[in-house]
Amino acid sequence: METYRFVVLGLLMGVAFGFALEKGRVFEPGVIVGQMQFRTFTMLKMFLTATATGLILLAVMNGVYGVALHPKATYVIANAVGGALLGIGITLAGACPGTLLAQIGVGYKDAWFALAGALAGAVAFGYAEPALKPLLLSGGPGKLRLDTLVGLPFWAVALILAAALIAGLVALERMRPWQDDLGPDYDGLRD
Amino acid sequence: MSETSYDENGLSPHCPWRKSRSLLRRAAWSPYAAGGLIGLLQIPAFLLVNTALGASSSFVTVGGHIAALFDAGAMQIGYFAGHAAGAKNWWQVALVAGIALGAFLSSRLSGTKRAAVAPVWKRATGVESFAGRAAMAFAGGFILLIGARLAGGCTSGHGISGIAQLAVSSMIAVAFMFAGGIATAMLFRKV
Repeated sequence: METYRFVVLGLLMGVAFGFALEKGRVFEPGVIVGQMQFRTFTMLKMFLTATATGLILLAVMNGVYGVALHPKATYVIANAVGGALLGIGITLAGACPGTLLAQIGVGYKDAWFALAGALAGAVAFGYAEPALKPLLLSGGPGKLRLDTLVGLPFWAVALILAAALIAGLVALERMRPWQDDLGPDYDGLRD
Repeated sequence: MSETSYDENGLSPHCPWRKSRSLLRRAAWSPYAAGGLIGLLQIPAFLLVNTALGASSSFVTVGGHIAALFDAGAMQIGYFAGHAAGAKNWWQVALVAGIALGAFLSSRLSGTKRAAVAPVWKRATGVESFAGRAAMAFAGGFILLIGARLAGGCTSGHGISGIAQLAVSSMIAVAFMFAGGIATAMLFRKV
């Protein structure tokens, strides 16, 4: 029963998520490749806006109401190597694990193959995980956070970082208005 | 209703992001509106699901169940078993499925039709055949999920959510994600 309620909630949240990804055009492979080649900046703008929004909301939720945080544990080599592979995959697929499904929703047919590859990758990792765990995914410094490292309250560091990201976004927008990056077919290709 | 003439998609040819009929029918929102909406989804995620937004572990939930169809021993592996059941795991599967539905609805409302394969791929890689692009998409998806699961999260879980929680693991993963993505895109032709 509880699972059923969470599935309905997940679907509703997913529809809003997918709607925003489509309207923001960040599911477009042209937008992703364009960002990675520094030709368009839509992906970075959306990513930093979502992150800054989260920082402000979590500063309030955690700082005022004591809502628990869920940071992931630090395993430096796994985070770095995994992150680099994730980035290579993002450029080759033109999508991240979330926007892959948005590509399917709008009708890109190659995205079904990326989905199959992603599921195969998840399965391959699951079989490899028992062997990888003692090497890369154990020990480590734990769930490190920047605020505890610098010795300030979470809400303070979160708001400072949010302010820095917003300042960066304002500068980026002045340098390149977002409309300039859409392209005539809204796919991030400017001609 | 209006003196403005619209094309077959309901969009003004001159200034589509301003003159289209309604918010939901616009072909594009600013990355700030779209990114802000995604950031707001952290509220139900933290308050109702007691977790942060993420996408990539749902591939382990679904992939593990697919693996179990072929390999009776798959659920003996702790990594698959840990992702196989429970409200939070199925919440994320529903979230990711909802992304496809939300993107579908958004693209239908705005009438932005997509080809089977985005035109950026031919420009960036020179690959013209669907089979070639499908193979690349499969490989991209595979690397994407290997990387995301090794890193412990994807653009959503490590990127948007992890940085918003000031997690050091996420800052490492995102820095390497962009490095890997940029290095790969630099091997492509300029789009």
